[in-house]
Amino acid sequence: MKRFISQTLIAAAIAGCMVATGNAQDDPLEIGVLLPSPIADVGWSHALNEGINAVKKKYGDEVKVNTIENIQEGPDADRIINKMVGDGNDFLLLGSFGFMNAGLRLAQRNPDLSFIHASGYKTADNFSPFTAKYYEGAYLMGMAAAELTTTKKLGVVGAFAIPELISTINGFALGARSIDPDITVDVVWINSWFDPAKAQDAAKALIAGGSDVLFSNAQDTPSVVTVAEEAGAYVFNLNSSMKEYAPTRYLGVVKTDWAPFFVASVDAHIAGNFEGKNEWLGMTDDVVVVEDWSSDISADMAAQIEATQADIVSGARHVYDGPLTNQAGEEMVPAGERLEDGAILGIDWHVQGVNTPLPQ
Amino acid sequence: MVITVLSMLERRPQPSRAMLILAPLIAVVLSVLVSSVLLLILKKPLGTTLYAFFIEPFESFYSISEIFLKFGPLLLIAQALAVGFRAKVWNIGAEGQMIIGAIAASAVPVYFVDNSSFWLLPAMMVLGALGGMFWAGIAAFLKTRFNANEILVTLMLSSVALQLLYFLLLGPWKDPMGFNFPQTVMFQDAALFEPLFSGVRLNSSIFIPLLFTVGIWLLMEKTFGGFKLVVGGLAPQAAAYAGFSAKRSVWISLLIAGFAAGLAGMSEVAGPIGQLQRSVTSGYGYAGIIVAYLGGLNPIGIVFAAFFLSVLHIGGDIALVTASLPISAVHVFQGLLLIFYLSVHTFVNYRFKSPRTAEQSHRT
Repeated sequence: MKRFISQTLIAAAIAGCMVATGNAQDDPLEIGVLLPSPIADVGWSHALNEGINAVKKKYGDEVKVNTIENIQEGPDADRIINKMVGDGNDFLLLGSFGFMNAGLRLAQRNPDLSFIHASGYKTADNFSPFTAKYYEGAYLMGMAAAELTTTKKLGVVGAFAIPELISTINGFALGARSIDPDITVDVVWINSWFDPAKAQDAAKALIAGGSDVLFSNAQDTPSVVTVAEEAGAYVFNLNSSMKEYAPTRYLGVVKTDWAPFFVASVDAHIAGNFEGKNEWLGMTDDVVVVEDWSSDISADMAAQIEATQADIVSGARHVYDGPLTNQAGEEMVPAGERLEDGAILGIDWHVQGVNTPLPQ
Repeated sequence: MVITVLSMLERRPQPSRAMLILAPLIAVVLSVLVSSVLLLILKKPLGTTLYAFFIEPFESFYSISEIFLKFGPLLLIAQALAVGFRAKVWNIGAEGQMIIGAIAASAVPVYFVDNSSFWLLPAMMVLGALGGMFWAGIAAFLKTRFNANEILVTLMLSSVALQLLYFLLLGPWKDPMGFNFPQTVMFQDAALFEPLFSGVRLNSSIFIPLLFTVGIWLLMEKTFGGFKLVVGGLAPQAAAYAGFSAKRSVWISLLIAGFAAGLAGMSEVAGPIGQLQRSVTSGYGYAGIIVAYLGGLNPIGIVFAAFFLSVLHIGGDIALVTASLPISAVHVFQGLLLIFYLSVHTFVNYRFKSPRTAEQSHRT
């Protein structure tokens, strides 16, 4: 009964302490996971769930994972997060940008809990946003696309024009144009993470417009991938492999393997040294992984891609190395310089070669 | 089959009070029975689930406050829609009117970021209401001027409203410090309703729907204006003969709905959300339609219907966590309840023919 009363401001803090001390004994650590879409076989929530499974595997009976999937962002989600905290979850994984403000409020009220939050930008002592450097993988995909395109036009179906996605499209364009500077990229924003019908329409429109390699940017279903296979266009996507939906035309996947980061975060929470900070993870951290490459890519190109990948991992090379120009042809990063992390995290411009203007 | 069932029914001379009270209880029992089967298949504990749905919402002060947080906008929108439905004006676009209300109200904190004037909140209320009325007014104009179907117009205007929202959030109203995410700045305290108690999200905006309900009840039950409104929609020609205007019915119905939906949108951004973002309505615009009908289009009935639906919703959220029910199962359970309620509600106005009356109807 205590937990029900606990949800008022002061009592919540007290309950948090009680549960936290309880953990020192035999109770398993309760991990609350809130996901914005169904876990399904592929996609964003699937990838997050795989990461959590690694935590379960490591800790076994010492953790109890309470997963709630397919919850839309908004005031109702706030209530559910509140309830999860009230019910004794001490470590929370919030799987979507829109859970940020509610999560942060609860984190500040419950200093003994730890939160990791996907795609956000606000931090607190016990609240870490995490994002993948997808652009690193997209750059390599761009190189492969440059070899396989005959129309020299690439197409992107994008969810929302937020920095995470913009920086990924830039990476794709930069990779392609590093091989062939005549290549251009068209983008259709569908303003949804999860709208198969709209995503398919967008993919068809891009193909009709001449694109012969598509990038399904943060779409949670194989919608774009299946359309590409039918139309004979190459395609790649993020988070988890969708090769079985495009057996002949699958370019590859920019996979996210959240397991190392999730396990490390839970380790830190149990050890009592969880530290809230912006977790921006890429190939170096083994979080961004490219695989399932198309067999149509030549051995030469494969070698070139591998070399570039090694350079990115070693830090010798960065996707956002200058010189970089924006769509209007203005120089944004001079030669010899590198766009700093903060500017990439908040990027609101496309590089030259991306045809479609950003929605303003 | 349907026809045979229908032919077994006859209209009661008067609506049954007993059935009115029994209907929700029977609906609960029937849906519990059906969903027990579902829960057994899902291997979820029946007791915990039912407890989560019907008891837990009342167990903590926080949950009760959340019920009322949900109750407010549902009540406000349903009351206004019911006015239109009684006058046969089918406004199903309260969702869009709510979005425009939220947008119009948000203009104040977006353009006066650091202002902490007392007048901020009243200005937002006025703008929110006007925004909703403007959006509904478009449908009223097209209906009265060109006889455009208000069902289609209001529904499509909801899509337009959503696009307008996206446009503003991705463009001119985007939070400059928000890393290009589609949302405005967080509103300053002066642009937010005061929470009624510390630690809860329920705020003083709850008084708006309550006052509005009293107003609607007076209008519909106690004034000649309410009567004219209903007649104007129900029987346009009779109304014209009596000197009541059907056009006026359309205008008034839609403007009232726009007013209420706009205020509801305003209360959301100035309440639990605290900023303008992609999801501002929580589906209240559509849920309001269900509440209006569940409440029998009656101002008092709607109060109970809005409360019932709010409890169901909060219970559903709790069941997600405590009974780890998948959200689709929650939706099925909520859907079952509504369907059974509406079915059972038929018996408020109808009853099975007694053998004698059945015989009589055969002879004639």
